[in-house]
Parts: sequence; structure tokens; C-alpha cells
Amino acid sequence: MNVAGWLFVLAVLVLAEIAVRLFDLADSVAAPSATLGAFVDGMSSGTLSDELGRTLGSYVQGFALAVAVGVPLGIAIGSSRTIEDATAVVIEFLRPIPAVALIPLAILVFGLGTPMLRFVIAYAAVWPILVHTMYGVRGVDRMLYDVAATSGVRGASRIVRVTVPAALPSIATGIRVSAAIALVVCVTAEFFVGTAGVGAYMQAQQAAYRLPQLYAAAALAGLLGVAIDATLRSGERHALFWVGEEQARQR
Amino acid sequence: MSARAVARLGGVLFGALVFVAALAIWEAWARSAESFFLPPASEVALRAWDVWPSAGFLSAVGASLKRLAAGYAIGAITAVSVGLAMGSSPRVRRMLGPTTEFLRALPVIAVVPIAIVLVGAGDAMRIGVIAFGVFFPVLIATVDGVRAVPLEIRDSAALFHVRGVERSVRVYLPAALPTIFAGLRTSLSIGLVLVVISEIIGEGDGLGVYIRSQQTLFNVPEMYAAILFLGLLGYALNRLFLVVERRALTWHYGAVGDPVR
Repeated sequence: MNVAGWLFVLAVLVLAEIAVRLFDLADSVAAPSATLGAFVDGMSSGTLSDELGRTLGSYVQGFALAVAVGVPLGIAIGSSRTIEDATAVVIEFLRPIPAVALIPLAILVFGLGTPMLRFVIAYAAVWPILVHTMYGVRGVDRMLYDVAATSGVRGASRIVRVTVPAALPSIATGIRVSAAIALVVCVTAEFFVGTAGVGAYMQAQQAAYRLPQLYAAAALAGLLGVAIDATLRSGERHALFWVGEEQARQR
Repeated sequence: MSARAVARLGGVLFGALVFVAALAIWEAWARSAESFFLPPASEVALRAWDVWPSAGFLSAVGASLKRLAAGYAIGAITAVSVGLAMGSSPRVRRMLGPTTEFLRALPVIAVVPIAIVLVGAGDAMRIGVIAFGVFFPVLIATVDGVRAVPLEIRDSAALFHVRGVERSVRVYLPAALPTIFAGLRTSLSIGLVLVVISEIIGEGDGLGVYIRSQQTLFNVPEMYAAILFLGLLGYALNRLFLVVERRALTWHYGAVGDPVR
């Protein structure tokens, strides 16, 4: 337990509270106590928790789409020089385009609903997944393929039983990097559109100048980021238990 | 030319060929579908040819780049300073740990409305948001880099009684520089994203504002042209960064061999 770290957080919050009350800053900054009140209120009454549910819904859909496209494509590109050469220019062309810049265009094409969110989230998340999968597959130890060959494992079964497990640590890193990027794009798109989700809630609270509610939603977005990262990390540890073991043995 | 170089050139040509084929499919598809939202590639290219050199577009690019430079510099310099302190002192690291963990996971867009309330939807908000987003990757890279400084170097510093700020700046900073550069590079593309995020909201100038105003006018080819420009800009900035990095780290590659990539 990191006592010093949490004491620091507490000290900052107490100082902020005192400053807001002492200098009458409630018009420009929400006091921590008011923020906490708005947070509890929003979560128990459902106004904030419902938006959280909507955000998670579109986030998961878009992210799943990115994994479904990025991993197979990354495996294909990583295992074949020809496919790599064929796709290199197209990918180098598309990859630097910031997904947030696509939001206005995606709104025109898909409308304001979930399909638009699904598209921009998937676009933002697919690149790190694709690139990490590609490098992971390319970095697979040649010896594993030799072993597979002597055991008569080839073709699709080699991909499933050798390539994917060997590239999994790298794929997991790509997924974790993407998760944070996808969340930013998701909340940004919601903020921009303003119909549903934590982002839309923030936009409405800012427009109405309800600062405690605005800060509560921002804190919730941060907690969501922490929770997603923690979930993926623990999932990674469980799914990839053998990675740590191997490293421990080498030491 | 060696056989390897010929194969490499063949690969690049093949990739370019596929790219041209993809453009041709886009063109044919757009012409047959006649969708308002998918203009043919040729139309986008022609519009880009008109739009990109126009004064309005160039001034938008200039405004965005100025914000990127200011936010990037502020974010990177503070991150390296805080990172050096956190990296060299376990106490500071423990103390700031939970705070940085939370702020790092905070989607930057959540900072935007808070900053708008505080300083308005102008340049201060935009530069602040960019600096905030740039800060964390550089901070983490700096902390990791300082913690990974080899024991021999630490011992040498102790032997010569180099400590405190001097040790951080003259020993840890150069030793951690290769890792810091990795963070700086990640931050550069994040910074470009944040330029758009901060500009897409509020009034003023810049590429984000340009894209949004073209959307409200339903000028679809202009939007494609601006989005493509952003892609090219991101690519160019990344290339430029690699050149700078290679220059700045010449001594490092001299010591450990050529860069891996």
C-alpha cells in the first residue's frame, strides 16, 4: 500500500477544497466535495451511470471490431513478405490520419448514432493492434517453425498452434495501447455529437455551467480509463501466465 | 545493385501498384455509386490541389502548427523535469504515483471542457490541452529511462561526488535520452491528434476548425482533402522527428551500434 502516494492525493484534494472556499472560486473550479456529491448523485440516480453504460456499449463494439480486423490482418502481413509489400504503402498512407479528424466526416456518412462511433473507435484502435501483431508474428522464433515442421504441423494449424501463441504477448501490448486511444476517440465523438454517453453528458454540463457535474463526469472518464487498463493488464497476466514464468526461469 | 536491393525496390513498387489499384477501385466505386459522401478519388485530388495552396487553408495549417509547437514544448519540458525527479528519487516516485496513474488514464477530452470553463475556448485552452496530452508519454519514458541507467554509471557519479540536480542533468538525462526520445516520438502523434481535438470544439482558426466548418457546409471533397493533409502532415512530422533523433543520438548509436529499426 502506497501510503505517501494516497496522502499526496488527499492533500491536493483538501488544499483544493480550502482554496475554492477561501477564495470563492466555485464559479470557475468545482470543489472536491461538490464533485463527490455530484458523482454519487449521478451514479445513484442513473443520469451518469446510464451514460456510462452507453459509452461502454459503443466502446466495446468498436474495439471488438478493431481486434477482429487488426489481428487477422496483422497475422497475414506478418507471415507473408508478399502481403507485407502489397499493403505497405496503403497502410503507411492511412495510418497517420488521426481518427478524431474523421469524426465530422463519419457523422455525415453514418449519422449521429452508434455505427458512427463504432467506425471511428475501430479506426483509431486498429493501427496499434495491427502493427504490434505484425511485429509479433515477424519476431516468432524460427526454431518453433522448425519444430512444427518436424511434427508435421503446417498451414492453418501452424498459425493457430504456433504463430498466434508465440505472437500473443506482442498482440496483447497492441490491444492495451489501443484501448486508451479508443477511449479518447469514443468520448471525443460523444462530446462532439452530444446525444449519448459520458462525453455528451460532459458537453451538456459544460453548456449548462454545472461544474460539479462536469468534474464528476471527467473523474468518471478517468476511472473508466484506469479500470480498462487494469482489466486488460490482469487479463494479460492470466492469458499469458507462461510469459512471466519463462522470464523467471531465465533469471 | 545487389539482389537484396532489387528485391526491396520490387517490394516498394509492388506496394505502390496496389496503392494505385486501390485508388482505381475507389474511383470506379464512387463513380458508379454516385454517393454524396464518397467523392471519386480524382475529384478529391483536384480539390486538394486547389485547397492546399489557398491562403485560408495555409493560415489554418500555420495556426495549428504554432499551437502544436507551443503545447509540445511545454508538455515535453515539464515532463522531462518531473520525470528526472521521479526517476532519481523513489520517494518522489511513490508520492506522485497514484496521481500520475489517474491523470494518465484520463481521456484528454475530459480536460477540454474543464479548461474551457477556466480559460475560455481560445489558444490558452488549446495549448494547455496539447501540453497535458504530450506530458504523460514523455514522463513515463523519462522515469523508465532514468531507472534503467546502469549501475556502473550510477557508481561513477557517486565516486565523483556528482549528486542532486547536477547528477540528474549531467548523468541521468543523457543516459536516459534514447528512452526519452521514444516517448517524445509517441507524443508527437498524440500532439497532432490533440490539435484536432482541441480545435474541433470552439471557434477560431486551425485545421480542426476548418474540417468542422467544411462539414457544416457539406463540402465533402474539402473535408477529404483536409483529412488527407493531416495524414501527410503526421507522416512528415514523424519522418522529420526520426532525422532529428538520429542526429541527437549519434553518440548513443556510436556506442551501441546502429539503430535497430
